[in-house]
Amino acid sequence: MGKKERVSVKICVGTACFVQGGADLLLYNEFLDPVVLGGCDIEGVSCLGGCKDPNAKDRPPYVQIGGVIHGDMTQEKLCKLLAEAVHA
Amino acid sequence: MLELNNQYTVMKRQVHAEVLKAFFAGTLEQEVDALPIKIIPKARIANRCCIYKERAMVRYRIMALMGINIETEDDELKSLSSYVREVMEKDKHVAPILTTISTACSSCPPDRYLISEACRGCFARPCLANCPKDCITFSNGQAHIDDARCIRCGKCKEVCPFHAVVHIPVPCEEACPVNAVKKNEEGYVEIDYQKCISCGRCAMSCPFGAIVERSGVMPVVKMLKAQEHVTALIAPAIEGQFPGTLAQIKQALLATGFSSVIEVSQGAETTSLHEAHELSERKSEGKGYMTTSCCPAYMELVDKHLPFLGERRSSALSPMGYAALEAKKANPQTKTVFIGPCLAKRVEAAKLKTIDGVLTFSELASLFIAKGVDVREMEKADLGKTESFEDCREFALSGGVASCVLSRYAKADEVSVLPINGIDKKMFRTMKIWDKRQPEADLIEVMCCEGGCINGPGVVVKPSVALKLRGGNKAAAPVKAMRSIVGARE
Ligand code: SF4
Ligand code: SF4
Ligand code: FES
Repeated sequence: MGKKERVSVKICVGTACFVQGGADLLLYNEFLDPVVLGGCDIEGVSCLGGCKDPNAKDRPPYVQIGGVIHGDMTQEKLCKLLAEAVHA
Repeated sequence: MLELNNQYTVMKRQVHAEVLKAFFAGTLEQEVDALPIKIIPKARIANRCCIYKERAMVRYRIMALMGINIETEDDELKSLSSYVREVMEKDKHVAPILTTISTACSSCPPDRYLISEACRGCFARPCLANCPKDCITFSNGQAHIDDARCIRCGKCKEVCPFHAVVHIPVPCEEACPVNAVKKNEEGYVEIDYQKCISCGRCAMSCPFGAIVERSGVMPVVKMLKAQEHVTALIAPAIEGQFPGTLAQIKQALLATGFSSVIEVSQGAETTSLHEAHELSERKSEGKGYMTTSCCPAYMELVDKHLPFLGERRSSALSPMGYAALEAKKANPQTKTVFIGPCLAKRVEAAKLKTIDGVLTFSELASLFIAKGVDVREMEKADLGKTESFEDCREFALSGGVASCVLSRYAKADEVSVLPINGIDKKMFRTMKIWDKRQPEADLIEVMCCEGGCINGPGVVVKPSVALKLRGGNKAAAPVKAMRSIVGARE
């Protein structure tokens, strides 16, 4: 079994994301499955730009998972997306 | 109480940010009537019955942000722009702090106990045996409650081994400690302002957003835009509400247009010293227990419901009161704006001559977004000399006020402390008895919100998040998992 690469997760902690639900995502130690948590490198980053895009289809909070930016993030959605990414 | 982050709070912050953006761009009056449509576009999948009701709700949210009393001033024929014009000319009167939106209220049915499908019609039937009013009957192999006879004691719910009994409350009525919220004959929510202590619990509990705060944001942004000298008085609870350290939050406030920033913890030091002195006097004169006086909802509670506690309260000003004096001393021309988690502070502020405006953290968040100020990107502002009052930042937490008083008290081990950590219906009943039976304590610390001000109605993040982010600018290392977030830019 080859060593799998860890999934890079960047949680936006720009003000727009933080105050519109992003802050709750910072409790990831509590709501993520430990196995999933172990497969991810999670960090907080500055504004990912999504909040300033007038044509954006989704809204803050944003999280970047392995290079792709996802909006309207919730704890449930993050659990699901990360589980998929880690087990892929 | 509702979970803090929900569809409704997110919507509220979006509405606030859009309105403030337009205000600073100078286009609010022209744009405001189109805002409900901009915020709820055709394509949106509605949470309420339809997008039109959602748009109507955005209209009411905007009115509340303007500080309009929706109960008395709502005129459906009047455009939002004409409301804006009025508010630009003259600030609205503050009281009452809350207002209700009857169209939003879904007139929840009276609270009741209901036996669900999960009932197995068991042999032991503890519900039947324990109901004091004999209102449980059995048919079709399941228990039923006779609503007319039920006194809502909840005994059946406690004893059912299958958890088959559910309680369906009226959230606002259940949340109010002093029974000031009632539904009127038509079933719509009404607040009795003679009784209301402005604690904000009802507004936090209604899942339909039918009880709203009349915001004080407009007078403040008008001051900022006119470039007056404005001093921000930041409550001790502010640390942890935004993604950055206290020093960065201060810088963000300066970038938003405030001229100077004073930590209310500085005033809290004076409050603590005063209370320590008063406590020792009372003790030596054998006068019995003393309560703290910094929670304005508690002050309202005493004034309106528990007058016998009037003489028990410390005579100290609140930290906000002392901080405002500091600000005016430093610059007599300055306008003072208290920024905190509290609704009741506006009641206190209206009584003081030294406070010119009040914002909640939630409103400040919208202000940051509108101004494009990113707390995390800020340099560290100089917080000045803070050693003597650093511990007073703990005023934001239950237990923190008493510990600051005690650490300024000579013989602290002789003092017994009773913290009142949140006032709900039950605690209110307990406090009523103090008139007859004195509590066994020298110092009673009273906070209306469970956990303290970090759980107030105007916060941005829930206490568990705030606690992780607090202390970031002290030597205290952030919780391990947070290190990457708090310190990533270092
Ligand atoms: S909780 Fe109260 S305010 Fe909210 S919908 Fe029900 S009755 Fe109306
Ligand atoms: S006392 Fe508190 S819960 Fe009751 S009506 Fe007033 S603000 Fe609402
Ligand atoms: S603040 Fe998160 S994308 Fe801008």
